This record gives sequence, C-alpha cells and structure tokens, in this order.
Amino acid sequence: MKDSRLLGQLEQAVLDGDEARAADLARQALESGETPLEIVDRGLVPGIRRAGELWEEGEYFLPELVTSAQALKAAMAVVQPALTAGGGGREAGRVVIGTVEGDIHDIGKTLVATLLAANGFTVSDEGTGVTADRFVARARELDADLVCASALLTTTMTRQADLVAAVRRAGLKARVMVGGAPVTPEWAERIAADGHADNAVAAVSVAQRLVAAKPATGAKRPKRGSR
Amino acid sequence: MNSAQLSARLAAGPLLLDGGLGSMLIAAGLESGRDPTGWNRERPEAVAAVHRAYAAAGSDLVHSNTFGASPIKLRAAGSDDDCRAVNTLAVSLARAAVPAGVLVAGDVGPTGALLPPVGNATEAELEAAFAEQAAALAAAGADLISIETMYDLREARAAVRAARGTGLAVLASMTFEARRRGFFTIMGDPLGPSLRALADEGADAVGFNCSVTSDVMATMAAPARAAVGCPLIGQPNAGQPRAEADGVVYDASPEAFARDLAAMVAAGLRLVGGCCGTTPEFIRAARAAIDAAGLP
Repeated sequence: MKDSRLLGQLEQAVLDGDEARAADLARQALESGETPLEIVDRGLVPGIRRAGELWEEGEYFLPELVTSAQALKAAMAVVQPALTAGGGGREAGRVVIGTVEGDIHDIGKTLVATLLAANGFTVSDEGTGVTADRFVARARELDADLVCASALLTTTMTRQADLVAAVRRAGLKARVMVGGAPVTPEWAERIAADGHADNAVAAVSVAQRLVAAKPATGAKRPKRGSR
Repeated sequence: MNSAQLSARLAAGPLLLDGGLGSMLIAAGLESGRDPTGWNRERPEAVAAVHRAYAAAGSDLVHSNTFGASPIKLRAAGSDDDCRAVNTLAVSLARAAVPAGVLVAGDVGPTGALLPPVGNATEAELEAAFAEQAAALAAAGADLISIETMYDLREARAAVRAARGTGLAVLASMTFEARRRGFFTIMGDPLGPSLRALADEGADAVGFNCSVTSDVMATMAAPARAAVGCPLIGQPNAGQPRAEADGVVYDASPEAFARDLAAMVAAGLRLVGGCCGTTPEFIRAARAAIDAAGLP
C-alpha cells in the first residue's frame, strides 16, 4: 500500500543527514509500491535540493552538506537495483567527472557526482588530480556526453583551460562543464567551457541543459549554460 | 621567542608581517597547481629573494616557506621531501635572507586531511603531524610558530597544542567567510567562539587570514575584539582573485589595502600583513600607512 508520507519523511532524512533512516525509508517506500523514480524525484532530490538552499542561505555548512549527500547516497544504493531492473527508466547522459591535475580537493566534485547519479546520469568519478589526458581517454572510452572538471584553487583552475582545449583537440562530442570555489561564469566563458555551475544542485540543471542541447558534430555550439 | 618576549615586543608597537609567498613564487615561475614547498630545495634563491623583498619593504616578520610542509601534506602532494629536512632548510633560508631584528616565523598550514563527518582523519593523527613539523621548525631556529588558514577549529586547536610543545610563542589564524549570520569557516565554526577557543588552548595571538578582502576583514576587528583579550592578527588577500589569460590576478590596489591595514591596527589588531596576491609593494604601502598614522 503506497504511503505518500514516506517520501516526505525520506526528504527530511536526507535533509537531516540521517544515513540509516534514509536507507530504511527508501526500502519501506519501495515495499509500499512507490516506483524508484518517484522515490528519487519526490523524496531524495527535494531533500538534497533543500540542503543546497540552506547552504546558500548560510544555515548549512560543509559537514551538514556532506552528511546530507551521504544519506542521499545510502538511499540511492537501496533504490539503484530497482531502477536498473526496471530498465533504468531514463538515461540522462554519460558523465566523466574529476578534480583537475594538481588539486586534491574531493568534496565538491563528489557532491556533484552523487547528485548527477541521483538524477539518472551514468557517472564515472575519476577522483582527484585527474590529468587532461585521463579525462579525454575516459570520455572517449565511455562515449561520454559530458566532462565535469572541478578546481578548488586559483592556482589549479588554469588546468580547466587545458582540459577544454584537450577535449576540443581530441574531437570528442562531450561538452565540458567546470566548477569549484574560484570558478566564475567569466572564467568559464574565457576558457570556452560549455557550462559552469556555482553549486552541486545547480550543476544538475546545467548538466541536463547541456546534454539536451547536444549539437551535431561540428555544429556551432549553443550559448553556454551559465548559472 | 617565548610568550613573554612576544608580548613585550607587541607592547612596543604593532608588527607588520609579510605578504603572499606562494603567489610570489608562481610569479617567479612555480608551475600552477604545484605545492611551493619543493622550491626550498629546487629554487632556494627564488624563495630567499621573496623573503628579502618583504624585509626590504618593511616587514617585521617573515614566514618560512613551510605552509605545506606537515608530514601529512607532504605525503598527499607526493613530495620527496622529508618533513624534518625541508622545514630545517626553509627556516635557514628565511633566516639568511633577512637582516637581524626581522623575526622568522615557522609557518604551519592545514594538513588537508579532513575530520569526520567530511573525512576520516583523527585529531590525534593531525596533532602528531603538527608536532613533528613544529619540532623541526623550532630546532631549525624559528623565532615563533605561525599557524594559518585553518578552517576546522578542531584541527586548529590540535596545531596550537602541538606548537605550544616547542615552548615558542604561537600565532593562530583561521580563515572565515562572511555569511548571513556573521563570519564562519566552511565547517561552520563561528568567528568569536573560535578565536576564544584558540586563546584558551594557549595561542599568544589569534586572528584571521585569507578568503576575504581587506575592507571586509577590517569589519572583523570589532567582533574579534569583543571575543578575546589577547593580541589579534589579520592578513587579508589582495582583493578578489580574477582569472586572466595568463593566470590569476587580484583586484585590490596597494594603497586601498594599506588604508585598510592601518584601519585594522587602529581598531586594535596588533599583527597585520597580507595573504594571497599581496606583494612587497602592498607591504611597503602598509608600512608607510601604519607609520604615518603614528599608531601606538
């Protein structure tokens, strides 16, 4: 018997960063007959979106945001087999993500990877200190739609420029999205990245827009996504 | 220099610290994204030149090039440098570069390892790493230990405890951002209570560096003063970083920066200097502004 209160409680468990409760509620929701997609769209995504809003409002800090993402991940682990068994329901796109060479910052990139996966993207997280060559090789191997590169330092963000150039040079179809604390829309524009997002929640909608706007090879690229 | 000696020195007048080191080394050719620690060995003359330039510009204190030289950070960066050797080398370089009377602070930055729930490090691990680095800095003859850019109060306290073990005076500075409810670190540690906790842990002077511009940092003086009675430290960036074709530039002028530093001293800060993007030119302007104000 479906119980719509479960999804509201699941949203709250993600917001509270309660890993065990989020996994348990996801299980209960599945058993009650909710579809995996409903659980993601009406429980998990609203919860993590609200956590992102509280971060922007200065109410949440990194520990809260990270525990919310961990709760989301725990619930996703429960829902994922059902999603896959049901043919996935949707494939939003294939993504290769990592933090650029010389930069060991993990958190922002991992949040974006988690949220993209929760929103139906097939995500290959390459970790930190990823070279442009590695990004290109993985994007080619996976026939990726999108390459996402994070940089947390003003000294490593210049690697994003190298990456955009390498992806273009390799003639890949993948669009390039950049992010990280020092990264601004102006920087994204300057290095001719296809998109930029200010935070993990915004990154999902930018990624969706970029994948939807996929041009024919060699076609002029559409206006790049900004925040 | 122990706590009493630092206290006597600060009673005689404010201390002007140095400015950015990493950004100066990048300007001298350090590859972007590379930790500056390796240059103590590979390009000692370039590191010494920055120390010399700050002393010539009027700095009363320079920081050794050891921000990334805790054993944990060295390991994470894949460095070949040994903690003890590189800290020793960096202090000797600074000492040889500046005239007698200019203090050499052994610089200690965050380990980069994160405590739960964000990471899996333990406070004991961090404290042990800081103790190893602080002991090396002290043995090499650093005048005091300067802990900078801390974003997690638990890690900052571990660093202060470790630094206190050397018997040298300890400066402890964290990095705060302006949020809707005041100034916080990215981990959510609030300004006033954090400074109080560092002072309680035994830091001789406490304060803030990096993240914000000098005009914003000037507004942190009053809440900091209300929170603690010990001497305060402030080291802002040279404005906001902006990405340009050949790298990153900062948008503040030395004159505006110097005005804000003088205002911070007038508001009760006792140790002021610069962080990312500041150069000897900024310090020279600050020296002139502080001296002209005739601050006690």
